Amino acid sequence: MIKTGNKLAILFFLLISLFANSMVLAQEVTVQATLSENNIFEGESVQLDIAISGTALNSLERPEIPSISGLRYLPNRTISGSNYTYVNGKPSLTQSYGFQFIAQTPGSYTVPSIKVTVNGKDFTTKPIAFKVLDPKTIDNGNAERAPDIYVRLEPSTTDPVVGQQVVADVVLYFKSEIDVSNYNTVPGWKAEGFWKEELNNPAQARTTSVIINGIRYKRARLLQYALFPTKAGELTLSPYTLTVRIRNTRRTARDPFNFSFGQENKELKTLPVTLTVGRPPAIENAEYIGAVGDFEIERTIKPNSAYVGESIEIITEIKGSGNLPLLNKPEYDFPESLELYNPQENTVITRDNRLIAGSKVFTDIIIARNDGRYSIPEKRLAAFNPDKGEYEYFTLPELTFEAKIDPNATVTSLEDMRLDIEPVIGLVQWKQKSQTYLRERSSIWVMVFVPFLIFMGAFGYKSYNDKLNNDSGFARSTRAKDKAMEILEEAKNSVDIKEGYHKIQKALSQFIADKLNLPIAGVSGQSLITEIQKKSVDNSVVMEAKRIFDKCETIAYAPNISQEGLEDDVDKTKQLIKDLGKVL
Amino acid sequence: MKKVLALSFLLSFTGVLFGQSSPQLNFDEANNSLEKGNYREALKRYRQIEENDFISGELFLNMGIASVQIDSLGLAKFYFLQASKFESTQQSADRALDFVNSQFSRQSAKLPKLPWDRAVDHLKITPGTFGLFVIGYCFVCLAILLIIAGWFNLIKLPKQKNIIISCFTVAVLIISLAYYVDYVDQRYDEAVLIADQSTVSVSPTENAELISMAYEGYDLTIDRKKSATQENWYYIRLGNGQFGWIEAKGIKIL
Repeated sequence: MIKTGNKLAILFFLLISLFANSMVLAQEVTVQATLSENNIFEGESVQLDIAISGTALNSLERPEIPSISGLRYLPNRTISGSNYTYVNGKPSLTQSYGFQFIAQTPGSYTVPSIKVTVNGKDFTTKPIAFKVLDPKTIDNGNAERAPDIYVRLEPSTTDPVVGQQVVADVVLYFKSEIDVSNYNTVPGWKAEGFWKEELNNPAQARTTSVIINGIRYKRARLLQYALFPTKAGELTLSPYTLTVRIRNTRRTARDPFNFSFGQENKELKTLPVTLTVGRPPAIENAEYIGAVGDFEIERTIKPNSAYVGESIEIITEIKGSGNLPLLNKPEYDFPESLELYNPQENTVITRDNRLIAGSKVFTDIIIARNDGRYSIPEKRLAAFNPDKGEYEYFTLPELTFEAKIDPNATVTSLEDMRLDIEPVIGLVQWKQKSQTYLRERSSIWVMVFVPFLIFMGAFGYKSYNDKLNNDSGFARSTRAKDKAMEILEEAKNSVDIKEGYHKIQKALSQFIADKLNLPIAGVSGQSLITEIQKKSVDNSVVMEAKRIFDKCETIAYAPNISQEGLEDDVDKTKQLIKDLGKVL
Repeated sequence: MKKVLALSFLLSFTGVLFGQSSPQLNFDEANNSLEKGNYREALKRYRQIEENDFISGELFLNMGIASVQIDSLGLAKFYFLQASKFESTQQSADRALDFVNSQFSRQSAKLPKLPWDRAVDHLKITPGTFGLFVIGYCFVCLAILLIIAGWFNLIKLPKQKNIIISCFTVAVLIISLAYYVDYVDQRYDEAVLIADQSTVSVSPTENAELISMAYEGYDLTIDRKKSATQENWYYIRLGNGQFGWIEAKGIKIL
């Protein structure tokens, strides 16, 4: 802003514009009037701005301010300034005037149209309605209790449908005596149940003035988010936290040496905000791809004629504003003979003008393996337009393409696709096809039992051997038969018959004594007979033993003895020993 | 009498000779068909050899080549996998497998096997479950021989008792491993899908919830124990680790 009286600068700009646009015959001029506050307390000052813009302002007269009811003009405090810019390659000059007023009497008033003469033509501003409020209506207690600064989360709507864009503004409210030098957001804000996208925010927040409960606040929109509900029901936006550095001008008035009295960092939190998310209405005979917004949908094929084996792209482009990143790919009924590859998707979005807009492109890649004409049938898609409150239907026309065999590429492709393994021809080593599991192999059991049997046999032999060496009774019993048979062989070969019978008696006595573990010395034949009778030996065997013992004892008195008789008795004794061996 | 003996000897020898040459004869005839481009006829003759319980790496390799020619890549993969199990054809079969796998339009993600599973797979082939059992068995025999020799004072070794216990422990471990490998071999089978595509679902019914699609050439692992509970369905694990039921038709078990 250039203060009133800086006429040289005004003239300089006017001359430049005059020179640069001397050849321009038709010139566009706009005149606009604005009031800094529309609700003013009695006694407060207010500024009326008049801006005159045009590509060339050859002659410009300062506007004459008419008398405005409810306001008193302060003539010495008028300010003026000019601004020279290029818009779309064309120069534009804006000359502005600021007229200061004091609000006087409470009531509702209107700033009337103001006439401005530019380049010899008259232009008028639009009337502006305003109110002058009575300061007595302010509850001083209420004003003091009201916070100096606070932050609010303000959604554009509180009853969206699933997928509809909701712009949530983070708005700072602070009293006029508060200066906010900067702010920082605290990371970690989660909007559960929403897909969130930060919109482009202006580099510097613009403040406006509002009266809340009779108290004047400055209002600054710091940040804005585009939120898309992903489910229906009551969803709550959790508090948003930011820290601000503020200075209270009332306190700094007591800080003449600028010691930063009154400056402080403050953490502010928004209140949680609940949104009631509804569902879009039922759909009619179309595929819903989750689109909510203002969209245009197109489907194209590229190319529409290809050689067999070449890829063909089916491109579905969805343009417009809304929940672009959340859109699903439409499903098409492709002919079965086509090979399908993983589809591609590409999204381009802009975040300007409080809108998520742009385009999303789905590309289906198909390859025809055989020649022929293929068609992809017509498809009907639906997108819900929340502004209209109804679905918009898009009919994507049928697509056709032709696949041909490339005569030049055939040889090359067959060569490339050839399996370069030659079959084996000639003698081959054959193998019987058999798979026997371990548990089913009988040889396993043989293998398991052989070492077991060897072990048991060895153990038995060892035990037998040990008993033979350590147990004299067992050793005598075991060897009794062999010993007796040995003596009987000697008896059989004996020349002296009496000696032979003596040996028979000895063999039988020793056999019974060894078997029954009796002392060999001093045992009579009769006592041995008694012992074997105790063992429940068959009576015939006992009688035979008794007969042999008796014959051996009385042989000296026997009249008819011969070698044959001895041999016969030896044989009988052998048989007797065998019989006794079975029971003793 | 001598003439009868000579004749019977000749007959039995001819029988043996015929038994040996029969698969080779069929193989040669099948090869002729293959060279003339009669791929289906060749494949039919190769299959006859296999049905007579004669197999070889060369047989499976040629079957794979014939399958490639009739554009049955899933079947070709199955035969090449069989051929790769034979030392004489392993190299050619692996190259052919690379080729066949590159021809499938749908490729399956394949999780690497765990080291333990790889070890079990290796043991299945070398030394094999029986070979493993024999190794363990040798340790058992050694331990028993040492015990018996100790009883009869035939051998006296320092710390003989410890050696015997170690031999037994090693034997038990190796035999247990042999039975585990045998169990795994018996329970799980590797297979290849040779049909164009098949659905894998959570239960063995046609309308069951879908888990995934399986396409020609996908490697599958069949759980025989679970599959035995359902007729015409297999409980499988896909290469990416997902489990589910698949219809038995169109699946070739290796």
